[in-house]
Amino acid sequence: MKRLLVLVGAAFLALYAWGTELVVYTYDSFVSWGPALAIKEAFERAHPGVKLVWIAPGDSSEMLARLIAELELGLPTADVFVGLADVEVPRALARNVFRPLDPGRLQNLRDVPPELRIGGDRFVVPYDHGYVTLVYDARALPEELVPRTLTDLLRPELKGKIVLQDPRTSSPGLSFFLWTIVRYGEGWPAFWEKLLRNVLTVTRGWSESFDMLEAGEAPIGVSYATDEAYAQITYGERRFRVLTPEGEGFRQVEYMGIVRTTTKVELAHALLDLILSPEIQELIPTSQWMFPANARARVPEEFARYAVIPARPVTLDPETIAQNLSGWLRTWQGLLGR
Amino acid sequence: MAWAALPILFLAFALFLPLGEVFRLGLRAEGGWTADRLRELLADPYVRGLLRFTFEQALLSTALSLVLGFPLGWLLTRYRFPGREALRAATLVPFVLPPITVALGFILFFGHAGYLNGFLQGLLGLSEPPVRVLYTLWGIVLAHAFYNAPVVARFVHASWEAQDPSQVEAARVLGAGRLRAFLTVTLPGLVPGLLSACALVFLLCTLSFAIPLALGGAQYATIEVGVYHRARVEVDLPGAAALALVVLAFSLLLTYLYLRGGGLVQARTAREREQPAVPLLDRKRPGRLLWVLYLLPAALLFLGPIGAVVADSFLRPAPGGRSPTLHWYGIALSADPTPFLGASPLGSILTSLGVALAAAGGALALGLAVVAALRRLRSRALETLLMAPLGVSSVVLGLALLLAFRRPPLSLLPSGPLPLAVAHVLLTYPFVVRAVGPLWESLDPHLAEAARTLGASRLRAFLTVELPLLRPGLLLAGALAFSLSLGEMTAAAMLARPGVNTIPLAIYQFLSARRFGAASAMATLLMAATAVVVWAWDRAGSRWLGRTRA
Repeated sequence: MKRLLVLVGAAFLALYAWGTELVVYTYDSFVSWGPALAIKEAFERAHPGVKLVWIAPGDSSEMLARLIAELELGLPTADVFVGLADVEVPRALARNVFRPLDPGRLQNLRDVPPELRIGGDRFVVPYDHGYVTLVYDARALPEELVPRTLTDLLRPELKGKIVLQDPRTSSPGLSFFLWTIVRYGEGWPAFWEKLLRNVLTVTRGWSESFDMLEAGEAPIGVSYATDEAYAQITYGERRFRVLTPEGEGFRQVEYMGIVRTTTKVELAHALLDLILSPEIQELIPTSQWMFPANARARVPEEFARYAVIPARPVTLDPETIAQNLSGWLRTWQGLLGR
Repeated sequence: MAWAALPILFLAFALFLPLGEVFRLGLRAEGGWTADRLRELLADPYVRGLLRFTFEQALLSTALSLVLGFPLGWLLTRYRFPGREALRAATLVPFVLPPITVALGFILFFGHAGYLNGFLQGLLGLSEPPVRVLYTLWGIVLAHAFYNAPVVARFVHASWEAQDPSQVEAARVLGAGRLRAFLTVTLPGLVPGLLSACALVFLLCTLSFAIPLALGGAQYATIEVGVYHRARVEVDLPGAAALALVVLAFSLLLTYLYLRGGGLVQARTAREREQPAVPLLDRKRPGRLLWVLYLLPAALLFLGPIGAVVADSFLRPAPGGRSPTLHWYGIALSADPTPFLGASPLGSILTSLGVALAAAGGALALGLAVVAALRRLRSRALETLLMAPLGVSSVVLGLALLLAFRRPPLSLLPSGPLPLAVAHVLLTYPFVVRAVGPLWESLDPHLAEAARTLGASRLRAFLTVELPLLRPGLLLAGALAFSLSLGEMTAAAMLARPGVNTIPLAIYQFLSARRFGAASAMATLLMAATAVVVWAWDRAGSRWLGRTRA
């Protein structure tokens, strides 16, 4: 009898484990470019019977909005969110999206340098970092048209040659937007009013805009300072050149956290720890094209050589962002109709 | 009375209660009713920009649709040529062609790196793409004209066909030149039809969603896109509700104007003869070959984007470089979850089919009940009430159902795809009413009366006598509701939730993730499904018309 009970219990447990899914929201390029599939394989190997499901039909701010909407409407939603830029963290915290982390379950966190970590690792931990800059296609853009400053983007010769991302839906779009606010101060709306008239389009996410660059739809776009390394390693030539106008680039650190409604706290921590492991972190440079957060992860030599590090990184403190962002975005929206 | 009670009860829960929720959320703050939120919205430069752009592009789109559609209507009425019937049937296509497939086709065909520019650059040896229309206001206007020029053509064709040719002949006999006869006799007769067409096109373009969403980027957004953005991206539901009220006011006004004007085109003169048609290809009339100047660019505009989608679904190289390939169809039909959709493509297809079947069934039942109610109680007020969804845009309807399904009593229902099916029933049943109403009206009332005298109950008389006679109209309307639901993306985007993904949304998501091959394969499947429906519709339509004419 006892044995039967144990058998039934084991069967239930197996069935329960078999049916377990860990749902992770991220942005589209973390799957199409980044290490998502390798993470899935490694995670499912380490946790037999558990399925890791990536959901990524949009860029980061859009996925965050989806998560917020689902939480507020009381719909079933993700267990983990991967891919929140530092500039989006204030919004996520204000909307109470994450549950507190248990740093004790994140062994690999000790190898992450303190300057990348924020808020005492209470809700989110970093997994990679880099710089948002301007990038141009050296095959398509004549040398004399290459912009040297942000203000150069307003030159009439560049009309219809620039793609940007929507700061309301995309994290590099938001980073670029905040960069222009730091650069122009109170005068940013005047700059944007002219810039919006000069650009080809403002896409929802980074994937669309970078694909437009690669497909030859437009020669200049907002992207990452590592794109030269990407071009060198992928094309064997530096087809994409990184611009750091006056040495600047906007600092971006990307974070992940555990959604407050999850019941799979253990598995969620295990996933975060796996993403921080050297095994996965070493995939970050040549798939995600960012710098790994784990200091022990090795970076390929060619990547290190061609990844540009801006001389003067631009940042904005979270306090200022939290206070002003929604007002700034409303003003920005108002410029769209002009 | 029971006939009227059923549809009213359904509409009360499925439409008026949800709309009440939009009013409540949009107009209530701190326990009282207030118009503050509305006032704030109308003062917001972003909202003003949305409104300005919406009407600007609708006006331009209407003008371009008129310019492109009028010659097509003329050609179809006045000339005989091989393929005329097929062309006439093809003007039905935009009515059921899902807008997202058109947006995809425009990106593939008119893009700077698209088929057209690639061809022209190769031909002319240019280093820069010569056609720079995509991502501008004109890209949206052109896509709307693609959609609506055939609508204009149908209106022109219908009102021209309805004219009595003897009037023009009389003018000619009395010495008027061909141009003068056209300007003084034919054209004035077409004006009511043209006005109706313009009103309809303006309404459709004002409420356009998928095309500006996919082609406009952040700069060119319509109010419908604005509501979607507020509700689903900014997650500001009260703000979205207030904006939805603005949209609702405009859509009700425009629909009212269109329906009021609709009386103009129906007031036809009794037709004695068919319009005489002359051959387009006539050796003695080489001037008619100038039609090529219209037909070639028109063919490029209409066939280019659709051809690009179909071609892309086979020709875009699979990973590993193979082309042509069926790889993208494999992905479009795959049962494995794709992260870019948040669901499996096959799952999205099955959801779409299920919702479309439910919508068609629901629309038929509701549409029949509405027609029956209106036959028994001929009241203008009741008709307005029962046809109310005509004046409600898809985005507003989607938002209303999204809000209403959060609270009792509707939150007690199983959710999943149910709210979407309800939305599609509401969006499609007016077409059932339009298709079945006149047909029922044309039946000989003695038939049912005879059955009743022979002892059949009213229900039995309906089921055994009237329903079989209505079957062609019902099949037609059901097929139409099915295909409209299959291609509908606006309410679907508003109501999307984990596990509820549809074909048009999947196409949009593949498009956003720049998985063009998969988007094209899915769009080709969707277009094929709709084409079958149009073909059946046209066949049934001509048979049905033939029967009433006899």
